[in-house]
Formats: sequence, C-alpha cells, structure tokens
Amino acid sequence: MENDLGIFFSLISNTLEYWWVIVPATILGIVVGAIPGFSAANTIIILLPLTLSIGPEAGMIFMVAIYTSSRLGAGIPAVLVNIPGTAGAAATPLDGYPMSKRGEGQKALSISFTSSVLGGLLTTILALILIPWLSQVAYYLHSVEMIVVMLFGISLIATISSQDTLKGLIAGLFGLMIGYIGADVVYEIPRGTFGFLELYDKVPLVPALVGLFAISEAFVVIDRKMVANQSVKDSKMMHSWKQTFNGIKITLIRWKHVIWTSIIGLIIGVIPGAGAAIASFVAYQQSKNFSKTPELYGTGHPEGLIAPESSNNGVTSGTLIPLLIIGVPGGATAAIMAVVLEYHGVQFGPDIFETNPMLGYGPFVAMGITYIILGFLIMPLTRYFSNVLLIPTKYIAPLIIVFTLVGSFVPRAYVFDIYVAIIFGIIGYIARKTGYHVAAILIGVILGPMLENFFLRALRISQGDLTTLFSSSLGNTLWILLIISLFVPGLKKYFSRQK
Amino acid sequence: MNKFKRRQFLHYSTALAAGSIIGSIPSIAFGSNFPNRKIQAYIPTRAGGGADRNFRAFSGVWSKHLGIKFEPKFYPGASGRVGYETYMDKASDDCHDLIFGNMGPEVLNWVVKKPTFDLNAYKYFIQVDADPGSIFISTKSKMKTVEDVIAEGKKRTLTVATSRLAHPASLGILVLAQKTGMKINLIPLSGGKNTRNGVLTGETDLGVLPSTTVMKRKGLNVIGLFDEKNVLKNKMPNAILVNTEYKLGLPPLPAGARAFGIKTSAIEKHPDRFKKLISSAKKVFSDEAYKKAVVKSKAPLEFISEGYEKECKAYVENITKVGQEYRSLLSG
Repeated sequence: MENDLGIFFSLISNTLEYWWVIVPATILGIVVGAIPGFSAANTIIILLPLTLSIGPEAGMIFMVAIYTSSRLGAGIPAVLVNIPGTAGAAATPLDGYPMSKRGEGQKALSISFTSSVLGGLLTTILALILIPWLSQVAYYLHSVEMIVVMLFGISLIATISSQDTLKGLIAGLFGLMIGYIGADVVYEIPRGTFGFLELYDKVPLVPALVGLFAISEAFVVIDRKMVANQSVKDSKMMHSWKQTFNGIKITLIRWKHVIWTSIIGLIIGVIPGAGAAIASFVAYQQSKNFSKTPELYGTGHPEGLIAPESSNNGVTSGTLIPLLIIGVPGGATAAIMAVVLEYHGVQFGPDIFETNPMLGYGPFVAMGITYIILGFLIMPLTRYFSNVLLIPTKYIAPLIIVFTLVGSFVPRAYVFDIYVAIIFGIIGYIARKTGYHVAAILIGVILGPMLENFFLRALRISQGDLTTLFSSSLGNTLWILLIISLFVPGLKKYFSRQK
Repeated sequence: MNKFKRRQFLHYSTALAAGSIIGSIPSIAFGSNFPNRKIQAYIPTRAGGGADRNFRAFSGVWSKHLGIKFEPKFYPGASGRVGYETYMDKASDDCHDLIFGNMGPEVLNWVVKKPTFDLNAYKYFIQVDADPGSIFISTKSKMKTVEDVIAEGKKRTLTVATSRLAHPASLGILVLAQKTGMKINLIPLSGGKNTRNGVLTGETDLGVLPSTTVMKRKGLNVIGLFDEKNVLKNKMPNAILVNTEYKLGLPPLPAGARAFGIKTSAIEKHPDRFKKLISSAKKVFSDEAYKKAVVKSKAPLEFISEGYEKECKAYVENITKVGQEYRSLLSG
C-alpha cells in the first residue's frame, strides 16, 4: 500500500514537472474547444509534428491536456450563444442558453465549468481505480447492446418534444432521414446524395451542427438588440463574483447529480465508437426522467446543464481505458493518441501499468491535474466570458456567421461544407420560427447513422434474424431499462395525480 | 522626373513580360522545368491510415529526387470512390496531380460497381508495397489454426470481420470457404481499426486484413496468409500459407498494394514529364533514406515492393479477373 502511494505521488510529481506543457495546452484546448469545427482531434493532428518531437510522456500529457480542456471549452459558446463547440456539447444549450437569455450567463458558465471539472475529476479517479473492470466493458457491448444504447439517446427526441409531441417527432424523424444520407455501411451504395460526392461519407456533422445551432441562432438574435433579454445596464449590474459563486454552490448542492451523470459518461466513453454526443444526450434524458422537476427542463434548469457537462467530461477518461489496455481507442481523439504512442514504440496491454506506469497511469494523472488547473484558471474568467452577451447583436451575429462558416470548412476543407452549413442554417431558422426543436433534428443527424450502422451489423451477423435484438442477457436488461426510463415520467405523473 | 520613372517602369515591365513569355516557351515545348509546382497527391482514405503512412515515407524521399515537395489531399468515403471520382474530375493532366491508393480494394470496388469515369482514363505506375492478406483470430478464441477454423466452419456459419466486402482479403477467405466447404458470413466493419476491434471484442469469430495492421497487435494471432511465402516468419510464426496449403488457385494478390496513379491524358500530353516521374521514383527505392523512412513508419521493410507500369498492370488484371469470377460473393 505504501509502495502504491509512493508510485502515485511520484507520478503526480513527474506529471507536474511538465507544467510547461500542461498550461499552454490547457489554454489552447479551451480556445479550440470554443470554436465550432476546431475539435481536439483536429488540433492534435495539426500539431502532430510537435507532438511527435517532444517524446511519448510529454506528447501524451500535451494531448490529454488539449483533449480535456477542449471538452470544457466547447460548453462556452453552447451556453452563451446557443452554439455547441463540438457535437459532445449539443445537449448543453438546452438549458444553458435559456439561462444566458435571462441574463444569467455568468452563473450558467459557472455551473457548466464546475460540473465539467467535478465530473471530469471524479471519473478520472474512478477510472484509475476501476481500470481492470472498465476495460472489459467493450467485450460485452456488441452491436445488439449498442442499438439499445443509441435508442437511449434517441429517446431524448420524445423528451424534448414533450411540449408539442407531433412537432418534436417530425423534427426528430427529419433529422434521422438526413442522417441516412450517404453510402450505406454494407454495400456502400449511395442514398439521397443528389449526386454530390461530398455526401457519400454522410452529411458532414460540423456544418450540420454549425448551421442548425449557430447560423440559425444568428438569424434569430439579429431581431433583438442583445442576446440576453435584459437591458445592457441590468446585465452589467448582474455581472459579479456573486453569480460565479452562486453557480458553484448550485452545482455542489447537486453533487449526487454530478456523480451519476458523469458515471454515465465514463461508461459510454469506454465503448468504442460511442462518444461524448451520445453520452450527453443519454445523461440529459435520464436526468430529466428521474428529476423531481422535469417540467423545468428546457427553461434554464441547472440540472439540465449539469447532466450533459458532467457526462461529456466523464467520457474523456473512459475513452482512454480500452486504448491503454486492449489497444482499442474509445473515440477519435484516443485513436490519434494511439498513432502518436505507437510511433514512439509504446506497446498497449495490461502490462503497460507495470512496465511503464508513466504512460499507463500518467494520462489519468495528467487529466486530473488538468482539471484542477482548469478549475482555477477558468472560474475567474466566467465574468469576462459572459460579457459576450453584452455585445450588440448587430456585431455578434455577423461574427458568429463568419467564424462558424470558417469552422464548418476546417474539418474536411471542402467549400461544399460551407453551403451545407448555410442550408442547415436556413432549415434551423425555419424550424425555430415554426416551433420545431433544432436539437431534435440534430439528435437524428448525429445518432441516426450510428444506429443504422449497429442495426445493419447486428442483422448481418444474425443473417437477417430480427430476434437477434433480444438474444443477449445484457441487451435484454438494457431493453428493460430503456422501457422503464420511457415510462417513468408517465408513471410519476400518474402517481402524483393519485396522491 | 515622374515621367521618366513611369517610362522606365513601362520599359522594364514590358521587357519582363516579354522575357517571361519567351522564357516559358521552352518549358511548354520540352517540359524542362517540370515540376514547377507542388505535386498534389489525392489520397482516397483518411489521414493517419496505412496509405497516409506509406505515402509520407515514399514522397518524403521522392521529393528530394524530384526537387519539389508533395502535398497530400485526403478524400475518404465509399471505399475510395470519393477520392477517385474527385481526382478524375478535378485533377489537372499536367503530371503535377497524382492519386495514391491501394490497388486491390479500389480495383475490386470498380468490379462490383463501375465508377462514373472511364477505367482506362487513369493507370497505376509506381507500386510501393505488397502486404499479404491475413486471417487472424483473437488469442482468446477456441480455434487456434486455419484447420480449426475450417472444422468449426463446417459445423456452423462463422462470422468474419473485414474492412469491406470488395477487398482482396475478403476475396481470399471467400475462395477458401468455397474450396473447403466451410460456411462464412462476411461482416464489413469499415476500416482496419473497426475490423480488429470486431475480433478483439469477440463480436466476430475471425477477421481478414492486410497483415501489417494485425501482426503486432496484442490479443490477435495471425494464423494464415494469402500468399506464396511468409517473409516475416518471426512476426507471424503461426501463419500458414493458405493459397498453397489449400490449393486455392489464386494468383499472388497482396491485400495491401499501394501505388501512385496518374491520368492517362497526362502521360499522352507530357511523356517527358512522366518519364521524369518514373526515373526519379526509381532512385527512391535504392535510397537508404527511404528504408529509414519505412522503418520509422513502423512498416516492415520486407513488404517494400518496387513495381512500375508493367507490374501494376498485371496486378490490376489479376484482381479484376478473380474479382469478376467471385463478383456475386463480393457484392453480398
């Protein structure tokens, strides 16, 4: 035990020696996370020559710090201007943005950062303790089980549309239809591409995200003088340290909520091919289902902001576990990290924790330290970030459009993607003006292809036998949990009426 | 003074313009200044994959002999179709724009579904590697050898993970199944990483991929190669030579056979430039720096395969012939 503690403290001290890597990477991560299109994965690819030249330990710490802080950074535009920095933050504006519109942007950011830091820190510690068990999750979750996990996420469409079920379902189905555009995963036959080669590899996600949220939002806010509904004077008066501390307090009171939603993120992060988007949708959906005040979700409810932010930060540590133990990356960024480590000759496997603790446990220690640095670095900035809300919309709307159009071009460098973003912007604007929820459309666009992929794979493995969907014990347990989660709100309503 | 300056400017600029026009005539006529801009390589797969790795190793040294840098442009999607269609549509035919792909899966793709462009409108002319297709299983699997796999496949249908249906490795296992009577169900998992994961996590019984992507992976065991020799016996000690062992009657069809291609119109318009591309590429294979680059990229030196128009043409003809024979199986 003493020996273990000794190794642990020596790891912390070794990692802290790389402060010159962690601090700039953390700042860079916040910036790239906050700009739609500039994800951690893109940034690490761009900086690959630098990462490869600084050695495996420093390289890993650099990548982990960028990855961790970009996840948190993606929440900033989501909360302030209804623009998720990445797909993983797509559920964040559902309650974060209504708070900003009320003039509580600073408080909302504080809740977002506190839940991100706490959720990330907690799951990093849990990951360190549970590595041997969590690494086995990927062995049990195959296509059949993944179909149910996807349905957990897609059921959020029904939750979002609770105020107008028909419109919500239409929006969700429209999103799913868009999600199926592209070549199918088995025979690679193009569907609904209108002859555009650029759509063979599915509708590009970043332009769709940017269009539906950012561009349509820019069109909408231009009608108002400011993003926030309050006058400039009122908003300025509200900006104080009190709001920041209030946000921290609100999150700390809901510590249980932070714990269980971040654990959802950790588990989903371990599954290869799942990722932060599905984690945040599932966490939001479950958070609402089991909340005492589900009717407040979507109106700027703190729990609706805590759930996606805790869970998408929980994903960060989860995604590294299968990479280090079985060489299977949990997500795109982890896959790039694998390339860098393989370049340095690192052999993945359970023995990495004994043969090279700095590379085995080091990433988790670096992640924990990054979260602590983030906590101290970013909290004082909430006040200044939230000043974005005071910029008149006649300036901020064109800026949003220009920045996000550049962001939509970055991932694939296709001019075509800029047009896709504009088309989705128009779709989003019409949806907003006619009462259809853009988040429901986006859920379909993101999760539709993933669901189709797992569904076709399961059918192919079973040679077309649909009963395969109910062929595994774990899958059946998940089906039951899905049905329970769908009926919980109705049952709760029924019992409250009985009382 | 001002007038004089203006006149001087006019004289000089006219002389400069005339000079540049005259100066450009020999380059148009003889191609002596080729290449005069970066060589753009269209790569029909994602950045960071096997093609990217091979491209960087080769082009890094080739640029030294050609005297100009290479710029990769990645166009992934639909098993390479996006990259090829984009190349045929947008690339210039002045020998500055090349395509770098994996001949096997991409030519098989055309066998299954013809592209929109004429297949004779481009040709491969520099092959850089030959990586045999492999059969691999999880180290946790009850089956340990190809013989075990065949025996099990006669009792039940085995699920076989593959990168895509139209792939030389898929072709190999389909021919093996047909010759031995085992039942298999190919599961395309879109890319090497997903295919390895499918086998590692136990979702499929076995997998087929080019051997480089699986030979060093923990938890995986390469048990068979679709080739005539195992040049990496130390890295794949359990791999038997399936083609000869089971008399598959297949010509050597490496699952990884990366090569540079070019528009045939570029060759017709600029034969001198084309010659320069080939002569400079030949120097790469004999350059020690290339071997170092390959080692650095973690690819085995044994899989370097120097090939030109003739070798590439033979490979394309072979794989097209076998692909047409098994077309119905490849298209599901």
